[in-house]
Amino acid sequence: MSAYIIFGLLIAFMLTGMPISIALGLTVLAFLFGLSDIPIETVALKLFTGIEKFEIMAIPFFILAGNFLTHGGVARRMIRFATSMVGHWHGGLGLAGVLACALFAAVSGSSPATVVAIGSILLPAMVKQGFPKSFGAGIITTSGTLGILIPPSIVMVIYAVSTNTSVGKLFMAGVIPGIVLATLLGVTTWYRARKYGYPRLARATWRERLVALRDSFWGLLLIVVVIGGIYSGMFTPTEAAAMSAVYAFIVAVFVYKDLTLKQVPKVLLDSASLSAMLLYIITNAVLFSFLMTYENIPQAMAQWLLDMGLGAMGFLLMVNLLLLLAGNVMEPSSIVLILAPILFPVAMQLGIDPIHFGILIVVNMEVGMCHPPVGLNLYVASGITKMGITELTVAVWPWLLTMLVFLVVVTYWPPLSLWLPRQLGMM
Amino acid sequence: MESGRIARFSKRYKTMKFLNHIEEWLIAWLMAIATLIIFIAVVHRYASGIPMLQDYAIAINMSWAQELCIYLFVWMAKFGAAYGVRTGIHVGVDVLINRLSARNRALFVYFGLFAGALFTGVVGFLGAKLVLGIYETGQVSADLELPMWLVYLAIPLGSFLMCFRFLQVARNFHRSGELPRYQVAHVEGLEVEKA
Repeated sequence: MSAYIIFGLLIAFMLTGMPISIALGLTVLAFLFGLSDIPIETVALKLFTGIEKFEIMAIPFFILAGNFLTHGGVARRMIRFATSMVGHWHGGLGLAGVLACALFAAVSGSSPATVVAIGSILLPAMVKQGFPKSFGAGIITTSGTLGILIPPSIVMVIYAVSTNTSVGKLFMAGVIPGIVLATLLGVTTWYRARKYGYPRLARATWRERLVALRDSFWGLLLIVVVIGGIYSGMFTPTEAAAMSAVYAFIVAVFVYKDLTLKQVPKVLLDSASLSAMLLYIITNAVLFSFLMTYENIPQAMAQWLLDMGLGAMGFLLMVNLLLLLAGNVMEPSSIVLILAPILFPVAMQLGIDPIHFGILIVVNMEVGMCHPPVGLNLYVASGITKMGITELTVAVWPWLLTMLVFLVVVTYWPPLSLWLPRQLGMM
Repeated sequence: MESGRIARFSKRYKTMKFLNHIEEWLIAWLMAIATLIIFIAVVHRYASGIPMLQDYAIAINMSWAQELCIYLFVWMAKFGAAYGVRTGIHVGVDVLINRLSARNRALFVYFGLFAGALFTGVVGFLGAKLVLGIYETGQVSADLELPMWLVYLAIPLGSFLMCFRFLQVARNFHRSGELPRYQVAHVEGLEVEKA
């Protein structure tokens, strides 16, 4: 009964368009004042201790690191490197776009920012070379999502925090699926470019490649610092995040000189405000899941789902559909915060690996971002390409279909995510 | 009388600018300091392993770094959330209300803003009560031995500020019909391409 009231209230509040954090908080308040015997005082403390965990602090640090390197200069270097490596194959600049998106997204950590940065530079060049606009738009919209699968990934940190799984294992588990998805998007691009005879570039010399690599090397090293640092045990994930923020600052200001020292306060302010927004949702989501646990809702739902006899296969299918639906109206962090605490206990009961479950949720979030009608990346891409959403949806479909196929593979073939962390002896 | 009104207005304007400035300055610095502290703590830990630096490194105790980082971020989060209301970063599910007529949409916008003010106001009061309660117990933090009431003070202060920001946004919406809009994907350094 209380489950219906809680979810009814939450959904009603959310549909009024109020911030998600406020909707979560008000639901809890309304329930506590009206319908529950939990003394407000015991909850009061919970309201404030939600974010007092050192693990959560990786989020602001990763955001800061990403923001230092979310710059047109870095995007240009990644594009140059990608073009010199794969530009001579079928698909030319388009194929380079997939690779550049994967690299830039991994470093910057933001999908929409990747679409804007790579898209604004690459799309005009592609159109000039004779590619149809829709081809480039499809590539950028979908490849821009690779960032949340390739570590460092903020969505993974959020999943780890809300389900008490290891950030290090999740990061490691994301590496192979990230590379495979980038490859699949590349193959889709290659196939379509060959079919329609799109232009290719002259093969770059190894010297040119080396120069381009040297230029983008400092940015790419960030990924190595994070993964290597966590894997070798040099840093905890939060420390790795802080180190990568300092590293990104040094690269952006002193090596690349994209930023002047005067611009640094602006980057700090932007990162702080984005982190604060996420931390505010986290605080209220912690409160919300406390209320649910107190009312025994996750357990009851788990029992209900188990009684339906879905089995692991059916449950995962249901999870996929639910997440794709949610991905249309909310951004990834909020979805993970609200749904992970509910779905996780069921997954555990069904014997699904927590790390595998995390990766499949992340891949789901990626698909949701470029899924019509309201994926976030679609909107951003529509802004820079001046194409309508319907037109873009048509442009995106070959890559979106690839992603959906990949989602099925990730969902039903756990070794894809679990092989690497197992090989490395992490689990 | 007219000049009096202008003087009053400009005084309020100045106070408001000052508040905005303090808010931005505070959260940017908290972010920078927290990053530096963890960086130094890690460097310190590795310096303790180098024989030449060992003696100096061991003399400095850095065990408080994690705790301080958490408290700095709690403060940053509370004030940053208020700043975020001003810049419109707290987004919700607006697909439904964007399909309504302008008048009906405005009603929902007001509802959302007042709901925000109500929630943050209530949390502010609960937080103030909590801070008073902790003040009486004289509790201190584990490593730094900071008084806990000071740490938790961020909650009522931040929440009341956030409440105020919600009301301010509602007033501006009433006057101009516009809401602050956060640019979700702003990237610097792309201007050259557009030229």
